[in-house]
Amino acid sequence: MSLSATGVSIRFGGLVALNNVAVSVSPGEIVGLVGPNGAGKTTLFNCLTGVARPQEGRVQLEGQDISHLRLEHRVRLGIGRTFQTPRLDLGASVADAVMLGFYPRLKQGILSACLPFSKARRTEDDLSARARQLIAEFQLTDDPDSSAGELSLGHLRLLEVARALASEPRYLLLDEPAAGIDDVDRDLLAQAIRNAAGRGLGMLLVEHNVGFVADLSHRMVALVSGEVVAEGKPADVVADPQVVGAYLGVQSVAA
Amino acid sequence: MSKDAKLWAAPAVVVVAFVVVMLLGLVRPSLHTTMFTIGLYALIALPLGLIYGQGGTISLAQGSFAAVGAYTSAILTTRYGLPPALSVIPAVLLPALLAFVIARPILRLPELSLALVTLSLGTVIAVGLQRGGDFTGSYVGLSGAPPLPLVGKDPVAVAIALWTVVLLVVVMYSHFVRSARGRALNAIRVDRLLAEAMGVNVPFDLATLFAVAAGIAGLAGWFYVHSIGYIAPDSLNVETSAHILFMVVLGGRRAVLGPILGAAFFTFANDFLPGAETHGLFFGTILVLILLLSPDGILSPQAMRVMQKIFGRRDRAGKAPPAGIAEAKEAVQ
Repeated sequence: MSLSATGVSIRFGGLVALNNVAVSVSPGEIVGLVGPNGAGKTTLFNCLTGVARPQEGRVQLEGQDISHLRLEHRVRLGIGRTFQTPRLDLGASVADAVMLGFYPRLKQGILSACLPFSKARRTEDDLSARARQLIAEFQLTDDPDSSAGELSLGHLRLLEVARALASEPRYLLLDEPAAGIDDVDRDLLAQAIRNAAGRGLGMLLVEHNVGFVADLSHRMVALVSGEVVAEGKPADVVADPQVVGAYLGVQSVAA
Repeated sequence: MSKDAKLWAAPAVVVVAFVVVMLLGLVRPSLHTTMFTIGLYALIALPLGLIYGQGGTISLAQGSFAAVGAYTSAILTTRYGLPPALSVIPAVLLPALLAFVIARPILRLPELSLALVTLSLGTVIAVGLQRGGDFTGSYVGLSGAPPLPLVGKDPVAVAIALWTVVLLVVVMYSHFVRSARGRALNAIRVDRLLAEAMGVNVPFDLATLFAVAAGIAGLAGWFYVHSIGYIAPDSLNVETSAHILFMVVLGGRRAVLGPILGAAFFTFANDFLPGAETHGLFFGTILVLILLLSPDGILSPQAMRVMQKIFGRRDRAGKAPPAGIAEAKEAVQ
């Protein structure tokens, strides 16, 4: 029972982005994936979500090979994700942005969406109520009908987590969730991640900010130049000489 | 405003506007044919509003898809004796099928390339119709198409039939934009990667809606040929497609009622402006001016703000804002 990548390699021309990398996330587990810029974090993240395909190795969900499946298909299988730069319609309301998250679970027909008094129409009120519940739970805004463009970057990140949770994923992959947000939002985000893991979600955090991940993760994986150099308890990984040399030497652990 | 009111505001505006104009037509009968023309344009423009305004997918082939529908029905009724009540089915399905087949390779193109590709598709269809020999009536076209079923040739009945269809499309469009599918389509416009990450099958959904848009245009073509009784390569062509896009952009591509407002503006301007050869100048100038003030057309949030500035004093005096603003607000949300 896990989401895992095994023996994954990707080369861009002569550049080895990932070399025989393995990483796995179990239900309820928070795994932190850290590494300096260019270490291959994003490439590995893309392999797991389906944006990129591994040239060697495979990605498995609960033992089933999903290496060939596209992003939208993996989402429907229960692999949710957020984006490093929040992606959403800033002109739409916060409620609409969160309600988009219900899409993969709905399987709504186009005709049903068009007709009055249809099944799609009846579920609409229910979705709206559930979205408002999520918005309240994540303290995104007091007015769910206000425009998403009015939210801070930290709240947009939280919105992405809420939206991803709306699709009821089994695994949630977060791309640099803590980058560029203030301490208050960071604490809210950390709490949201712990809560989600407490409900049995497997979480993978790809993060530049080692301090944030070390506090939060059950297990950490450090990538350097496309290879896993350390894996295990956060304290051990942070203290690993190879990690310190490649990465922490240039940035304070306390960040 | 309550959810139900949001769903039914646009259809209600259509019904009221239609009834008012048709009643005015009792005094000035030419309004009935004007209303028919507006309805025809609106029917071709509405689905473009959906795929372009909501889905960000431009098309300069709507007029040509209408031509395919019109020709299909004209050929089946005049050559094979099929009644129009039956020929409506292939008149809708053929353009839809054509659109669906070509959609997959072209809909991934960026906006400008897509505009050019759909434009050249229209040109190909036009050449095909002109060079079709006796089958398509060549440059002369086809005449003698039988009148519409049930409503016949009475201009009032024809207008009512056409606008009933327009109203149905408006009802469906209004519901669609406020559904999970509508939000998915908007996600495609904003960011395709986002749409995929939300589980949206982008190529399939776009192709389906592109086909639906072409099918509705084909239905408009069917109305056209069986009310006028005649179709030629120049009746519904690339120029029509450009006019349709003008209507959508001018009226407001994000608003359900935008394409209808654009169609009404275009038709009335055509009727009242002197000198057909200077129309292009007029429409071009209007388009530039409107888009400078409000990039999303007349029925859009920006235009509302401009209007509120102009009419701001009246608002402060406690009077209701002009009817158009409330409706624009409604249609945009």
